[in-house]
Amino acid sequence: MKRIIWSFALAAACAIAPLSAGAQERVIRIGVVMPISGPASYFGVMGREGIDLALEQFKAGVNGYRLQVQYEDSACSPLQATNTVKRLLDQFKPHIVIGEECSDASLAIAPILEQAKVVQLNAGSVTMKLTESGYKYVFRIFPNAEQQSLPLAKVAYEKLKARTAVILHEKTNAGNDNAEGFEKPFVAMGGKVLAKIDFGRDVNDFTAIATRIASLGKVDVLPTFALEGQTVRLSQALAQARIVKGGGGNAVQMGSIWLPYGYDQKAGQASEGYVRIVQFDPTENRKVVQDFIKAFRVKYGADKVPTHINAHAYDAILLIVEAVRRGATDTESIRDRFTKLKDVEVTTGKITFDAKGQNSDLSVVHFVETQKDLSWKGLNWQ
Amino acid sequence: MTDLLTLLVQQSVNGVYLGCLYVMVALGLTLIYGVLNQINFAHADFVTVGAFAALFTATRFGTKVLGLPDTGAYLLSMVAALGAGALLGLAINAAVFAPLRERGDELRPLIATIGVSVLLENFQLWLLGPIPYQFDSPFSLETIRIGRIFFTAQSVLVVVAAALAIVALYAFMKFTFLGKALRAVAQDRETAGLMGINPNLLIALTIVIASALAGVGGALLGPVLVLTPFAGATVIVKAFAIVIIGGFGNMQGTIIAGLLVGVIEAFTVQYLGSGLIDLVVFVLLLVMLVVRPTGLIAERKEENV
Repeated sequence: MKRIIWSFALAAACAIAPLSAGAQERVIRIGVVMPISGPASYFGVMGREGIDLALEQFKAGVNGYRLQVQYEDSACSPLQATNTVKRLLDQFKPHIVIGEECSDASLAIAPILEQAKVVQLNAGSVTMKLTESGYKYVFRIFPNAEQQSLPLAKVAYEKLKARTAVILHEKTNAGNDNAEGFEKPFVAMGGKVLAKIDFGRDVNDFTAIATRIASLGKVDVLPTFALEGQTVRLSQALAQARIVKGGGGNAVQMGSIWLPYGYDQKAGQASEGYVRIVQFDPTENRKVVQDFIKAFRVKYGADKVPTHINAHAYDAILLIVEAVRRGATDTESIRDRFTKLKDVEVTTGKITFDAKGQNSDLSVVHFVETQKDLSWKGLNWQ
Repeated sequence: MTDLLTLLVQQSVNGVYLGCLYVMVALGLTLIYGVLNQINFAHADFVTVGAFAALFTATRFGTKVLGLPDTGAYLLSMVAALGAGALLGLAINAAVFAPLRERGDELRPLIATIGVSVLLENFQLWLLGPIPYQFDSPFSLETIRIGRIFFTAQSVLVVVAAALAIVALYAFMKFTFLGKALRAVAQDRETAGLMGINPNLLIALTIVIASALAGVGGALLGPVLVLTPFAGATVIVKAFAIVIIGGFGNMQGTIIAGLLVGVIEAFTVQYLGSGLIDLVVFVLLLVMLVVRPTGLIAERKEENV
C-alpha cells in the first residue's frame, strides 16, 4: 500500500513539475499588430517573415528569458487595430507591442498603449505625429516623414537641379506628412510645387492623373508616396503619358523608403530612372546585412531577397533582444533600456532613440537609381 | 488641336475606358437585381476570382503549358475567366442561393451573399496569400498614339469587350426564347411558372450570366487592379453607385451611368483633384436619389432586363 501511495505521489510530482517550471518560466511577451489582410497585407506577411527568422535565431532565449510572440491582424485599419490591441492587452498582456505598419493604425493604438504603459515599437510608419505627440512609450526605428522627405527635397533641388515638382501621395497621415515634408523644404529652397495630387487607396487607374500632370507643363520631379501596388500602376501610367524617363520623358519619379525591394521588376521599364531613398540595401556589405540575407535565404528560399519590411521587423526583435540582454525584464525596463540604447547595429543601420523615441541615426540611408536593366545604381548622395 | 481640346479629348478617352471597366462589373449586378430583386454582395469576389483565373491562365497555362504568345495567352485567359465565373456562379447558386430561395425567404439569400463574399475572400486569402500579384496584360504595355492623344491597346480591348458584352446581352434578352423567358420571370415569377417556364432554371441562368460577366470583368480589370483576394472590393462600391444612378435593374441605365461616372471621374481628377472622386460620385448618387430615385432611365420593371 505504501508503495502504491509513493508511486502516486511520484507520478503527481512528475505531472506537476512542468507546470511549476512553466509558472516560473521567464517570458517576454511580444504582441505583433500588423496588417495581414487588405491591400497593405504584404507588410504583415513580410514583417512576420522577419520576426519568425529572428525568433528562430533566439529560440534558446536571452538572459534566461524566452521570447513569446502573438500575431494579430490589424488590417491597416485604425478601428481594427484599436480593437486588436485592446484584446491583446486584455488577454495576452504583452510587455511590448510591435506595430502597426500603417500610420493611421499606428496613431490609433498609440494612446491605448500609452495609457496601459506598454511599449510600442514601430517599424514601418512615417507620420510625424507618432513621435511628436509626447508619448513616453512610443519608439520608432523607421525614419519619419521628415527624415525621408527632407533628403528627397534636397537631392531634388541640389543634385537633380529640379525647380518644379508634382507631389503624388495617398490620402493618409503617412502620405500627407511625406508630401508636406517634401513641399516645405523644396519651396524654401526656391522650387515650385505645381500640384499636390492625392488619391485614396481604392484608386486603380492612374491614366487620368497622368494626363493631368502632362497638362501642367514642364515637371522636373515627381515625389511619390504610396503603397507598392499603386506606385507600380502610377509609374506605368506616367511612362505611357511620356512624363517620366521610363516612358521617354524627362521628369524623374522619386520615392521613399516605403517601397519594398522588387518594385522595379514589377513596374518594368516604367521604373527606369526612378530615384529613391533606401535604408535597407541588400547590396550593402555590412556583416549584419549579409548574415541576415544568408539566414533569410536558408529559411525562405535561395532566390528570395529580403525587403526593408522583412529587415525592419527582424530588427525590431534584435532591439528587444538587446534590451533583454541589458537586463530588461518587463515593459518598464524595456522602455528604460530603449532610452539608453546607442548605436545598436542592426540590418537597417544603427539605432539611437532621441528624447521623443525616434531613431535619430540615418547613417546608412542613401539614394539609388533604377537602371535600364532594372538594377539599382547607388548614388553617393546622403 | 489646341492644348485645351487635346486635354478634353484625352480625359474623355480615359473616362470612357474607365467607364467601360465599371460597366463590365455593374452589368452583372444589375442583371441579378432585375431578375431576382436581390443585391449580390458577393459580386466583387466573382470579379476577383475572374482576375485570378485570368492571371494563372495567362501566365502559367497559356504561355508555359500551351506555349502561346503573351497576347494569345491573355485572350485565352479572358475565356477562362468567363468560364470560371460561370462555373462559380452555377455552383454557388446550386449550393447556397437556390436552397434558400426555395424556403421563400427574401432576407436569407441576401445575407447569404455576404456570407459567400466572406467565404470567397478568405478562401482566396488562404490559397493565394495576401501579397499583391502582378498581372500585366501584354496589351497594357502597347501604347497607341494618335497625335497627342494616347491610350493603351488594353483600353481598346476593354471598350471592345464591353461593347460585345452589351450587344450580346441585349440580343440574348430581346431575340432569344430564353431571353424572353427571363424577362417574363423578372416581370412575374409565379405567372411565368404557370406558362410553362421554369423560374429556377432561369434564375440559375441569370446568376451564371452575371457571374460570367464578372469573371470577364475581372480578366479586364486584373492588369489595372492591385491584385489581392480583396481587389474586387475596390471597384464594387462604385459599381453599386452606378447601378443606383442608372436605375436598379435597368441595363441601359447602368451602361449610361457607368460611362458617365468614368468620364466624371476623369474630369474630377483634372479639375478638382483625384482626392475628390468619391465625393463627386456619391454626391451625384445622392442627387439622383433625391431628384430621380428611379435612376437615369425609369422603365417598367419587365423592360429593365
